Amino acid sequence: MRYKEYNVNRVLEKSIPLFWNKGFNGCSINEIVETTGVNRFSLYHEFSNKEGILYQSLKLYRERYTKDQLSILSSDGNLVSILKRFYLSFLEETRPILGCYIIHIGTELADSDKEVNQFVDNFLNEIKNMFVALLTKNNYENQDAAVRARHLLGLYCTSMSFCLIHTPAEREKYIQNGIKVITS
Amino acid sequence: MARVLNNSYEELVEKAQELFWLKGFKGVSVKELSEYLSISPSTIYNKYSKDDLFLDSLDYYTSNYSDPFLSQLRETTEGLDSLKDFFYTLIDALLDKTFPRNCLMVNTVVELRNENDNVVKRYDDYMTVLEDSYKVVLEKAHALGQIKDRNKIDDYAQYLLGVIFSLSILYKLKPKEELRQYIDEEMSFIN
Repeated sequence: MRYKEYNVNRVLEKSIPLFWNKGFNGCSINEIVETTGVNRFSLYHEFSNKEGILYQSLKLYRERYTKDQLSILSSDGNLVSILKRFYLSFLEETRPILGCYIIHIGTELADSDKEVNQFVDNFLNEIKNMFVALLTKNNYENQDAAVRARHLLGLYCTSMSFCLIHTPAEREKYIQNGIKVITS
Repeated sequence: MARVLNNSYEELVEKAQELFWLKGFKGVSVKELSEYLSISPSTIYNKYSKDDLFLDSLDYYTSNYSDPFLSQLRETTEGLDSLKDFFYTLIDALLDKTFPRNCLMVNTVVELRNENDNVVKRYDDYMTVLEDSYKVVLEKAHALGQIKDRNKIDDYAQYLLGVIFSLSILYKLKPKEELRQYIDEEMSFIN
């Protein structure tokens, strides 16, 4: 049982950069077989189909690569620096992929795949609620906090797409400016 | 080969652009591209290359879709109200599929990032035109008294560059009314 679990997560870990680099529709089951070293029969047995691998990889990514980042939003300190730290935490070169896998897959598939759509929407709502809590803690009125949180979420989507072509300095400037426009 | 002679290169690019817009660069194989263009794969390999067809598709997109759209924006007179209409039009085009998918340039940024220098050059040109167009409208908004501090125009223009990127995912998740409200709120930050 433990052996299998280990294998499943290893397949998913290897699938994430593959889908990220080639797009979900851009890669074949053959490429997944080659990249993961697991044969087609076992893949289908475990995940049913290519979509199954995708859905599981989104879950794994959320568990492993977003929890620490999201927890930044519950920390104490200056609002602007917390927000900046949060956005930039997804853009560190040490991450398995630059940016956010969930946004990336959502941009490709949220209009054609209902399960991806739900998953991305849930994830974004979770972040938005954390923005609301953070803003409320910083004395924004309830309704005002809700409005600004929607746009901090917009800035999240932007930082995870547009900012990927930026140099680190451009990225930091863009994010800082965005936070300033939205929170002031 | 006979068919190639019947198609001008411009016509091929126009068709190729349709397919790339729908499926992205990596999502289109040479085989699929050749079938869509009714030419043989070897013609693509030997004569045109998928890369060149893609780069020319980006240029076709810019001159036929985004440039006219942006020059209309620059000619508007109502400042922030015109800007709001511009984004409303964009939302409508995305939702009613006048545009098959969101902006080809945005899709390409997400898909290829900085992998290809020739593509990066096109982002730079595109973003410059977009940012300048926003600045033209924001200057008018300032003249109309909608923006008090003229020094903020550059910051606002930079901020607005992100809107097409956030919309590119939000339009797949949210209904039209929420998207319009989102734009209204964006405009309220500019003052």
